[in-house]
Amino acid sequence: MKKYRDIAGDAGSNLLGQVSTQQERLRARMAKIRFKVAVLSGKGGVGKSVIVANLAAAFSQRGMQVGVLDADINGPSQAKMLGVRGQRLEFQAEGMKPARGPLGMRVVSMDLFLPTDETPVLWSGPTEGEGYFWRGAMEVTTLREFLADTDWGELDLLLLDLPPGTDRIPNLLSLLPELHGVIIVTLPSEISQLIVGKSVTVAKEIMKAPVLGIIENMAAHLCSRCGAEEPLFTGNDSRRMAERLSVPFLGRVPFDPMLTQSADDGTPVLLSYPTAPASRALSQIAAKVGEALRLPPAWLDAKEIR
Amino acid sequence: MKFLCVPCDEPMKIQETKGPEEGSLTVIFGCPVCSRQVALLTNPIETQIVRSLDVKIGGQQAPSDPMGFVRSTLASIREEVPSADRPTATESGCPFTSVANAAFERQTPSHGAIWTEEAAQRLNNIPSFVRSWAQKGIEKYAEEKGYQKITAEVMDEARARFGI
Repeated sequence: MKKYRDIAGDAGSNLLGQVSTQQERLRARMAKIRFKVAVLSGKGGVGKSVIVANLAAAFSQRGMQVGVLDADINGPSQAKMLGVRGQRLEFQAEGMKPARGPLGMRVVSMDLFLPTDETPVLWSGPTEGEGYFWRGAMEVTTLREFLADTDWGELDLLLLDLPPGTDRIPNLLSLLPELHGVIIVTLPSEISQLIVGKSVTVAKEIMKAPVLGIIENMAAHLCSRCGAEEPLFTGNDSRRMAERLSVPFLGRVPFDPMLTQSADDGTPVLLSYPTAPASRALSQIAAKVGEALRLPPAWLDAKEIR
Repeated sequence: MKFLCVPCDEPMKIQETKGPEEGSLTVIFGCPVCSRQVALLTNPIETQIVRSLDVKIGGQQAPSDPMGFVRSTLASIREEVPSADRPTATESGCPFTSVANAAFERQTPSHGAIWTEEAAQRLNNIPSFVRSWAQKGIEKYAEEKGYQKITAEVMDEARARFGI
């Protein structure tokens, strides 16, 4: 009697062919994007999404065509931070037109599909009770569709804002094996850095993804009266952690209420308060990311760091 | 998954797919030699797992709409987002057709449905983020049953049917 491997094909569904078609569509779309960079964290709440929004602003300021994909399907925030909530989505034969953010950034987020502030991402299915069987696959398929079905056009850089968790890198790399780099955001706290170490291991050792470097957010509080720096956390120096993990250290972003205020207002702080210490730090970090990506010097020099 | 006709030692071919209906997909396989048929009946979780991969059992004849998966599977979605299987004004002549598993697709609200005051009040008591989903489900249930009005009793029946 024949065994599984004796039988060619799958009785007519051609599931492999369907998946291959999906991948081809994704490849064709991504071929128009020069650099794809994922930003992730180990733990949640480290301010990764704010960093993404401001890196996007920094590269847009340099004249680059930038896209932002909010890959945090269940906790989307980029639409709010980049001021595109409520924009009407347009669907055409060639794909969905992304929302347009500051400086012409192209933005896609699950938030653009949800009807109200309180609406969580729920899938129409049998029952949410059995969701643990299939929810992960729904999210990966959604991410694949966001990448492949958005009419991004020609982009110089696509930044992907990943949700927290070390499992996100393998999922993303299964879709985007040509990823140009991973940036990891952490806090100067032992707990945050503990998980970052795991993310670096997954990215660097297991998935062989290029780690562009580590950014330390909320590095210090600046006194509003005298400008003196005071530590917010008592954890380890992230630069030392980066050295220990043999990955570049991209820089520190001080805690600044203007940073969160600007995010709430839908404009990156780098655009609303360009001379703020956080803005200067973010601009310098963007320059280092550009160097790590080996961007053409003309792009890096297009605008001086403020 | 493959099916083998044991007497003929011949792989069976998909002849027909039906559904999903109440979360179950029916796939009929036939032996090309002896014509013996078997049917595969999936449970709702199996159906959902297939669906979550955005593939179609029996083969997909045409590419899906842009964002067809997201648009057809989100339980609650902005009203102005067009359904995946309905071309917009700017899409006349669009070659895309509907994506797999149409029975799971987002239902267009039945604007003609009549809700009694009591039923409408109960609907309003449902949390806002699932209200639209619940409304569509109840209206679809009422339409299937041929009910002219949606009453509290109809809501109870629908709840029992959906197991919520």
